[in-house]
Amino acid sequence: MAINKPYNNRAWLGVLPVLLIVAFSAVIPLMTVVNYSVQDILDFNSRFYVGLDWYRETLQDPRFIEAFGRQVLFSLSVLAIEIPLGILVARGLPKNGAWTSVLLILLAVPLLIPWNVVGTIWQIYARSDIGLLGVGLNELGLAFNYTSNPTHAWLTLIAMDVWHWTSLVALLSFAGLTSVPPAYYQAAELDGASKWQVFRYVEMPRLSGVLVIAVLLRLMDSFMIYTEPFVLTGGGPGNATTFLSQYLATMAVGQFDLGPAAAFSVIYFLFILLFCWIFYNSVMLDGTVDESEARHHD
Amino acid sequence: MANIILDELGFAYPGALEPTLLPLSVEIKDGEAFALLGASGAGKTTLLNLLSGLLVPTTGRILFNGVDVSSQSGSERNLAQVFQFPVLYESLTIADNLAFPLRARKAVNGFSAVDIASRVAKIAGELEIENLLKRKPKTLSLFQKQLVAIGRALMRPDVSVVLLDEPLTAVEPRTKWQLRQSLKRLQEELGVTMIYVTHDQTEALTFADRVAVMADGKILQTASPQEVYEQPAHEFVGFFIGSPGMNFVAIDSAIPAPMYAASGVDQFAQRIGFRPEWARLEHPPMTHPLSAVHWLGRVTHCQILGTQDGVPVGITTLASEVGELKVRGAINATVGEEIMVVVDRCVSFCAEHYVATHYAQSSTSQLTNPVGNE
Amino acid sequence: MTSVSRWVLVFYCIYLLLPLYWLMTMALRNNSDITGKFEVIPSNPTLANFAEIFSNPVWYQAFGNSLSYVVLNTLISICVALPAAYVFSRYRFLGDRQLFFWLLTNRMAPPAVFLLPFFQLYSSIGLFDTPLAVALAHCLFTVPLSVWILEGFMSGVPSEVDEMAKIDGHSFPYFFFRIFIPINRGAIGVTLFFCFMFSWVELLLARTLTGSTAKPIVVVMTRTVSASGLDWGVLAAAGALTVVPGIIVVWFVRKHLVKGFALGRV
Repeated sequence: MAINKPYNNRAWLGVLPVLLIVAFSAVIPLMTVVNYSVQDILDFNSRFYVGLDWYRETLQDPRFIEAFGRQVLFSLSVLAIEIPLGILVARGLPKNGAWTSVLLILLAVPLLIPWNVVGTIWQIYARSDIGLLGVGLNELGLAFNYTSNPTHAWLTLIAMDVWHWTSLVALLSFAGLTSVPPAYYQAAELDGASKWQVFRYVEMPRLSGVLVIAVLLRLMDSFMIYTEPFVLTGGGPGNATTFLSQYLATMAVGQFDLGPAAAFSVIYFLFILLFCWIFYNSVMLDGTVDESEARHHD
Repeated sequence: MANIILDELGFAYPGALEPTLLPLSVEIKDGEAFALLGASGAGKTTLLNLLSGLLVPTTGRILFNGVDVSSQSGSERNLAQVFQFPVLYESLTIADNLAFPLRARKAVNGFSAVDIASRVAKIAGELEIENLLKRKPKTLSLFQKQLVAIGRALMRPDVSVVLLDEPLTAVEPRTKWQLRQSLKRLQEELGVTMIYVTHDQTEALTFADRVAVMADGKILQTASPQEVYEQPAHEFVGFFIGSPGMNFVAIDSAIPAPMYAASGVDQFAQRIGFRPEWARLEHPPMTHPLSAVHWLGRVTHCQILGTQDGVPVGITTLASEVGELKVRGAINATVGEEIMVVVDRCVSFCAEHYVATHYAQSSTSQLTNPVGNE
Repeated sequence: MTSVSRWVLVFYCIYLLLPLYWLMTMALRNNSDITGKFEVIPSNPTLANFAEIFSNPVWYQAFGNSLSYVVLNTLISICVALPAAYVFSRYRFLGDRQLFFWLLTNRMAPPAVFLLPFFQLYSSIGLFDTPLAVALAHCLFTVPLSVWILEGFMSGVPSEVDEMAKIDGHSFPYFFFRIFIPINRGAIGVTLFFCFMFSWVELLLARTLTGSTAKPIVVVMTRTVSASGLDWGVLAAAGALTVVPGIIVVWFVRKHLVKGFALGRV
């Protein structure tokens, strides 16, 4: 049902509390960051305006570029696994019945574990001395050690992220799939459609909407990942698993080099903003096709 | 095209205390337009789901052209279904939507692309939707989409039966009659066996060659619309059909028996029913008091529906010694006035099973031939 | 469901459960057992690690701290978001779409960007090292998220409900608190779930804004990691306990969960 929304500027009263809190949380700090990003701060009293110098320096900093490259590789890898896996898991879920609730809760659990605990769980699990996976792989003769071998570290991180976040894709896909009225399946069956045709013509159109959301969310969130790799590998061995957030955190807090750190932050944020814009438009303009609901935004 | 026989078909959900459908038998002829009419909860959806293979019968069998299909799935029975809302493949064009049932079974029916294209053109032509073929479903109105859905159901030339589950539900009211007409015309032209499930009597009575009226998991009567209207076999049929439905009066000894006997009412009847249009209002005193069933009543309400030859016609509600009565016809009384209700035709019912036992028309009846539908 | 999907589901469930199982076994074993002998099924299970957590103030206070900022955050977020979501779903006004988009960008903001400014900001107003600081900082994400989710649900409630209340003569506060909010119980539940999902799990900001007084569980656990003489058993027990609140929250909102995801407003 479309809500005919009247125009009323007094509505601003309703958003005022939100505005105040978010402004306090976001605008002031952001302004600070932008402020720092264009200054050279030697100490509290001496600051020089340097324009876009920090930006230029950051974008040319080899360590930044490396961290960026690792980040892109990581994000694309986890996406490539999580999206298809999430869809398959969602298709395997029974649509209703006793098992459905149990399985949904199981799927939701990884999403609700503090991120450092996720790191800790996988640390305990993958260590080659006390971990089930670590010891298991070594027993199979694989000489697995994620603390010293960069490739193993990468694989473990990816496995951990898949363990952590596939549920999000699965739950989104499940929501999309269950929105298909049974009549569509029945009609396809009467048509004599094959299983593949049912997936392609009945399920995929419903899924495409939620999938765009899933891809964008995972892309953005994986781009910001910090805690889990920090706990699991600490960014190592060496720099092998240092991604963007960790690099920024080290710069900002450890080294107290505020100017470059601020510039880095701004670049980082702009990148995220771009994805956010795409996300916003696709959610607001795309609708899943449904006979009983209509998009209410124009 | 198939002839369908339901043989003592019954259904109960596992663990249910009472069956949803009591064993019923009915035959639907090849090429017939058949309607299943009943209120919600009557069991018509269950019957439809049994026909479409969604449910497996608990008792009895379903035969298509003499073959027992009770354990076959819907696609094995080669039937098609139109749902309450248009069910189309959203990512395909209308032309591809129509072609889908044929393409999916290409291995079986061996249709070439040319055959399929010409069939699509033919059906689109019948439905007058040629101009929509290249568009996608989301650009169409609900009415157009449902037309396409009906087209999809008619695509296979050898389809055994087309099931329609309240197909006009989602369509806007002002286009309902258009869709009804198109359906009827298609059914006649293509000679497809169609089973139309609905709770709307107008839809059922205008569409069908024969109607099955259902209530409480039973088919109460299967007959032509005319017969169902004129000679209801069961009180519920008389009550459900017609707007408003029949008046029912219990016969007891307080009312003079000769009046009934002279009108041809069955002497063992316990209740009689008459349609509002089978009665008329006459100012007392009556001319032939014993030749027609009549009662004195006081008018409580007049609902004008229109005029005929300058005289207002409508439904007059009266309070009488035998209860509330409704009479349809010329309104020649005002509220509060006392007037005679004279019944020209009635049906006798046996009160235990509400089954009709006798159809009578009085000698002074002013009714000519049986009236048609509303 | 094809059998391929079913098998994938089964294997994925095993994949999910294995690390959790391992966590539990570690939690039930002594640290010396753990480092001494490798066992798939603990031969000597003990609740000593859990006892340590419940008796040692460092641990249980940390849990308390975490719970308090999560609860604070959820309360603030929902209270502040309800009127905003209502207004977004019912009215158009100057700058509404831009405001909505701006809110969304905040949900997507990388926490790392805000570390330093938040540190300075909260220190300067004297909120450093309090649960309130973390609760407010998390509002950066949870408030927009709450508005986003609530608006999605509220748009599905027809405006006729509002009109009926007006016709019945109810004042706006009566309508809002006694009629509208109860209708949106499911929505509020889902929002609670997602706020919890953000606030309970976050580390970076929680660590930056707390010192010794308001130290949350996530910090105590990571500090434990970086210390030498690491007690795996206690760590695992603490980890296991952090999973519990999550399960409780999911259990309560399980019926509305799918609908929340269906609106795509995670």
